[in-house]
Amino acid sequence: MDLFLPQTIEEAVGLLVQHEGARCISGGATLVAMMNAGLVEPTALVSLRQIPGLAGIAREADGSVRIGAMTRHVDTATSAFFRDGQRVVPHAAGRIANRVVRNMGTMGGSISFADPAADYLAALTAAGATIDIASPGGKRTLPVAGFVTDWYTTALASEEIVTSIVVPTMPAGSIGHYEKLARVSGDFAIVSIAIIVKFEDGICTFLRVAVGGCGPAPLRLREAEILLEGSRLSPSLVAEAGRMLVAISDPVDDVRASGEYRRTVLPRLLAKALTQIQQAQHAEVA
Amino acid sequence: MSRPRLIDLSVNGTPRTVRASSEQTLLEVLRDELHLTGPKRGCNQGVCGACTVLIDNQPVRSCLSLAVLTENRPITTVEGLAKGKSLTPLQQSIIDCGAVQCGFCTGGLLMVAHALLADNPHPTSDEVRSALSGNLCRCSGYAKIVEAVCRANEGSLP
Repeated sequence: MDLFLPQTIEEAVGLLVQHEGARCISGGATLVAMMNAGLVEPTALVSLRQIPGLAGIAREADGSVRIGAMTRHVDTATSAFFRDGQRVVPHAAGRIANRVVRNMGTMGGSISFADPAADYLAALTAAGATIDIASPGGKRTLPVAGFVTDWYTTALASEEIVTSIVVPTMPAGSIGHYEKLARVSGDFAIVSIAIIVKFEDGICTFLRVAVGGCGPAPLRLREAEILLEGSRLSPSLVAEAGRMLVAISDPVDDVRASGEYRRTVLPRLLAKALTQIQQAQHAEVA
Repeated sequence: MSRPRLIDLSVNGTPRTVRASSEQTLLEVLRDELHLTGPKRGCNQGVCGACTVLIDNQPVRSCLSLAVLTENRPITTVEGLAKGKSLTPLQQSIIDCGAVQCGFCTGGLLMVAHALLADNPHPTSDEVRSALSGNLCRCSGYAKIVEAVCRANEGSLP
């Protein structure tokens, strides 16, 4: 197996075109673990380490936040560039594994693997993020909603590379919150919920919810959000929204939990997360 | 498999030239080529923490790091902490508190705790638990480990 260290993104894409079965490597936290387990055997590795400009976070003039694909979880988790509801993204980053793995793993590497139990995709779905991709023909941008096409499968062609992720502005005063149920601190999620919500005088005026771990891609249902927007989030309405999300879920039975358990937990986790946000708001007002 | 080539590593302050192929992890090279057996191979998946070393002074999993991608970056293993026979306060505290049982996890957790104490010389037990949450001790000797890290710099309390 050859390992290449291209200096530009064009050179990296060219190497992926030339070497069928080659894989990009950024932090190694996912790919090397898969190689160690014998689950992938790349014919060649293309390290993105020496390409300038792929790592780092910037706040654009319009208030959106651009995260370079090679940005490590630790840097996303501690970034001050995210405002209002955008903070769901650093909140999720801080819940990934543990500090040592957050020193290694990158956002581009994590989302390109599209593990449904990983943390970023639900947060990015709630935030309506877009993904910038370098292709042999140039560049393209995909909404995160269309990025995951099946279990562990993305819209990325084998010779394409994620270059950055853009999180748009969220309403002033909105809150970003990431809730994760896991067996132990640092494990992958059994179910996770990313929420962006805004309250005005106790009424929910803006809501985005995405659920991780209950299907190949994060679940999002505008109808469930509309049901809650304009309300005070009464337990019965939240339970109904939870049932609507369960109805579109497709969870698997695996070592962490059964599909049935995930369907049971999903509405409860939604209710817990919304209650926690409301309580924090009350505490702030008081 | 590619043919191994010679790579230049900087391990515990010493330049080392070793043979490595591109799929070899830093853990394999440290243990099998350089005979530094402080980093342990537990899960080989980045979960257990026993292989943790410092690269650029930050704790990382050596089992998830490809050796060729660590060329010319300073690497510290548990063997590099003590100066000769003079242990660091953290190492001494681990001994004094009886925080070693089988010892398999000790090398990795020392590296994480070492990095924590460099940033935060007097951590609370919650901060230690959070920092060490990615290091499994299958003897389950966590209470003494947390105590030892909390007390490591007790002698230098203001």
